[in-house]
Amino acid sequence: VTLQQQIRRNRLRSGIVLAGFVLLLLVLAGLVGAVFDLSLGVIALIGAAIYGIFALLRHRSIVSSLTHAHEADPEAIRPLRRLVDNVSIAAGLPKTPEIRIVDDPAPNAYAAGLRPDSSYVGVTTGLLRTMPKRELEAVIAHEVSHIRNRDTYLMTIALIFAGVIALIADIGFRSLVWGGGRSRGGGIIAVIAALVGFLLAPYAALLLRLSLSRRREFLAGAAEILNDPEAMALALRRLQQDPTTIEYADASTAHLWVESPTDRVVTERTGVSALSSLFNTHPPIDERIAALEEAGGFRLPEGVPPDTPFWAELGRE
Amino acid sequence: VIWVIVLLVVVLLLVLAAVALYNRLVRLRNRVDNAWAQIEVQLKRRWDLIPNLVETVKGYAAHERETFEAVTQARARAQQAQTPGEVAQAEGILGAALGRLLAVAEAYPELQASQNFLRLQEDLTDTEDKISAARRYYNSTVMHYNTGIQSIPWVLVARPLGFGEKEFFSAEGDTAPPQVSLTPAT
Repeated sequence: VTLQQQIRRNRLRSGIVLAGFVLLLLVLAGLVGAVFDLSLGVIALIGAAIYGIFALLRHRSIVSSLTHAHEADPEAIRPLRRLVDNVSIAAGLPKTPEIRIVDDPAPNAYAAGLRPDSSYVGVTTGLLRTMPKRELEAVIAHEVSHIRNRDTYLMTIALIFAGVIALIADIGFRSLVWGGGRSRGGGIIAVIAALVGFLLAPYAALLLRLSLSRRREFLAGAAEILNDPEAMALALRRLQQDPTTIEYADASTAHLWVESPTDRVVTERTGVSALSSLFNTHPPIDERIAALEEAGGFRLPEGVPPDTPFWAELGRE
Repeated sequence: VIWVIVLLVVVLLLVLAAVALYNRLVRLRNRVDNAWAQIEVQLKRRWDLIPNLVETVKGYAAHERETFEAVTQARARAQQAQTPGEVAQAEGILGAALGRLLAVAEAYPELQASQNFLRLQEDLTDTEDKISAARRYYNSTVMHYNTGIQSIPWVLVARPLGFGEKEFFSAEGDTAPPQVSLTPAT
């Protein structure tokens, strides 16, 4: 299977998932229309559309504030700027992405943006403190390849859809519980069906979104841009061995990060950890490393070799 | 009458297929050309740095005339190179001349302490990194393109339509294909 074929297949799957989102939204609006009033269902759809457009226009700052990322003084991060520039040039991006910093001790990174020329890469200070240059390059290449393959586009849209669905389901559920539906002919059964629907819709949306990012993490590879699958495997091992998780991990942005913060998030949210493999946003790190080992024909040693972190190059302690 | 229709449909399908094949080749070739333009952008950045660098070193080491001339000449020749092969060779010579210039500069502590010189040296290293990044992307587009025009069915139409093979861009000391290590890293 060549990369091109894989990307094409991925596109098809993405199309199906997006259609699933639209269907879910229509079902929700239908439920609202059934238990309250038909016009309310239409209003919910129109509201969703307005919210969606607004979120599309503001998606960069929305994702930034959800992940607590901020812009950095260009002078202070010059070596990092160069590293990102060079990786983007090697990837053939039309414009090099901006950099945003997340002040968090846990090493992690993500990419966001709708188009390759208006994207940015978010990195935690923990990442700069943990990774040596070669592995940092691999992580950045991974994020840049998300931008190049238009994964960030799809993930942003998925995030917005999930937000809209959660909003409608929440409002519907609350007004049904507190206000009571003037059930139009459907009676008690329709009300119960709607209650269940409103409760489950956000989880259905979560599942849809997760099915997107899991496949994508395998595809987006540093391997193809830098020709160095070993560096990526090392970086993943280092991420795996680091015990910290980012503080502002949130179910709505979990799928963006290179190392999944969802184990914790999902357990907190649902209280059921057995569900977590179903709700994982990423394939397990061991599987990702194994795939890289196979692609590159090497085997990682058990531990990660100590190395000078990139942080030193930024002239920090 | 039926045969005429069948014939027309077959001809139409063939034409459509030919257009699709042709378009793919054009797309691949455009990608190679764009990637080459990116390399030229970075090469130009390096050429633009050189006069400044030479002037700065001159300020401290005026008598190293030969070294300066070698750099200036190599730069002029590099700017005239056309094909990837020529460019690679000319840029290799320029790189060597620059290396000698920097080696000469080592002998002047005042120069080494100059902020201006340090900044120029940093920019030079950065530009060289960017050239090699652009080269990596260019070579990957060339590989795609060359594989494209050599595979069926494109191989049948590529040559008659004037899609020749493209040249890889290799740099000094970088001619070996990328090696994947078979032993665990230590």
